[in-house]
Amino acid sequence: MKPAGWLALGAAALLALPLALSEFWIFIAIEVLAFALYAVSFNVLLGYGGMLSFGHAAFFGVGGYAAAILMKKAGLPPGVAFAALPLVAMTTAAAVAVVVGYFSVRRAGIYFAMLTFAFQMLLYAVALKATGLTGGDDGMTGLKPPGLLAQPLAYYYFALALVAPALYVLFRLVSSPFGYALRALRANPRRLQYSGVDVRAHQLATFVVTGAFAGLAGGIFALSSGNVFPGWLNWTASATPIVMAVLGGVHSFLGPALGAAVYVVLEVLISGKTEYWPLAMGIIILILVLLMPNGLTGLARKRAA
Amino acid sequence: MSTILRVESLAKRFGGLQALAGVDLAVEAGEFRAIIGPNGAGKSTFFNTMTGLLQPDAGRVLFEGEDVTGKPPHLLARMGVARTFQITSVFHDLTALENVQVSLLAHARRTWSAWPRAGTQHVTRGRELLALVGLGDSAERTAGTLSHGDQKRLELAIALAGEPRLLLLDEPTAGMAAQERIESIRLVRRLAQELGLSCVFTEHDMAVVFAVATRITVMHQGKVLAEGTPAEVRARPEVQQVYLGVPA
Repeated sequence: MKPAGWLALGAAALLALPLALSEFWIFIAIEVLAFALYAVSFNVLLGYGGMLSFGHAAFFGVGGYAAAILMKKAGLPPGVAFAALPLVAMTTAAAVAVVVGYFSVRRAGIYFAMLTFAFQMLLYAVALKATGLTGGDDGMTGLKPPGLLAQPLAYYYFALALVAPALYVLFRLVSSPFGYALRALRANPRRLQYSGVDVRAHQLATFVVTGAFAGLAGGIFALSSGNVFPGWLNWTASATPIVMAVLGGVHSFLGPALGAAVYVVLEVLISGKTEYWPLAMGIIILILVLLMPNGLTGLARKRAA
Repeated sequence: MSTILRVESLAKRFGGLQALAGVDLAVEAGEFRAIIGPNGAGKSTFFNTMTGLLQPDAGRVLFEGEDVTGKPPHLLARMGVARTFQITSVFHDLTALENVQVSLLAHARRTWSAWPRAGTQHVTRGRELLALVGLGDSAERTAGTLSHGDQKRLELAIALAGEPRLLLLDEPTAGMAAQERIESIRLVRRLAQELGLSCVFTEHDMAVVFAVATRITVMHQGKVLAEGTPAEVRARPEVQQVYLGVPA
């Protein structure tokens, strides 16, 4: 089948999917959509740009809080606030990413990871202490989309209408000249500099764009889960996109989206049966890294070859 | 002839080591200049300080008369200076063609273009450049799987994609077998002549140096010890003493 055929099939499946699901599973499907965008945005940074961020949750969290504050504290009519939500979540996350990225891309490898980590902990502290704005330890609850969109089915289509174009934009980005430079930058930043590319500027741009899309994902998820908590910004939250990306496969564009789907569904299934979900996750990660270092998509490709 | 590269009193210290103790160099357009010297003479430091990788403590570097001292590498590249590295430096998990395409995109200042597909851009020119360095049949191969010598050739193609006027090669034949070295440097020489490039290269292998260099600069302990045509340099007793190992 041609790529266009697969695309049509995928679109049809995503459109039809919620019609076959119970309300509970529609909520899970929305979560999958949000985390798919989150994981893919993270992997554009890691898999294409070679930047292992240990603070990508900062942008997901900032997007979530921006959405919550917009709905609860901005004093706008719900419809207006909600219409502005995607743009507000993205621009707020992008603005934070400009600052974090400006300092972080000055260092490579583990130092880059540590700087992103440090900024995230800073934001975590803000979320905990700025009680008036963020609700502190209690987070912000009771968020919901206005009117008919509060129906899970409608909100699923709303989320899909945001996530699908966002993924397409990221796909075009990695296939573009910018994306080629990004892959070259991961392979050999020094060589690329001597071809006339301002490596740091390209890294910063990637950081900001992927941060903005993580913010959008956070905003979408905030209104489906109904709340945001400081834990979204805690450093442990940054492991989630890493695990999703590795689970799905960092060498494929949609691999992390598949990883997100498998992760979210497994979490629901396993945590419904036992409180030892972290134990199960640990075992899954072990199996993953030891037996299929290229993730699920890597495994599928090996089978096909 | 005009001076394409002029270096004045370039100095660089690492802690207690004076790696460069005031190096002067003038390269005329069209030269194929070799820089030789024993290990630790400062050749690589000289290259790295000239090309913005290291900041010099003192001295100046002028490219076509313009002061480029300490200019960051990407700006130097845009002006028309290309370089290769002692340890082969390619984009190892991209194909050979993509390696050259990236450099062509960079040269065309297209790397900020984030929507159009890149796969079909600069393919013809990319294949031409690969053919030029003898990699015409390896375009689709992943760079990391090419032989060492072929990776060196690929790096040359990447450098040439930027249409430089000055090409700096740090040990272009490092790690090659003797016969391959001569062939490889002759290829560089021929391309430089065809494309009207000036070249400066460092080299250990005297056979390679005397086969192709138009002029030779001898470095020793961070300074220029001697300079001249191959015949002149060969005749200098101090060069024989410190470098060629012949007692004076």
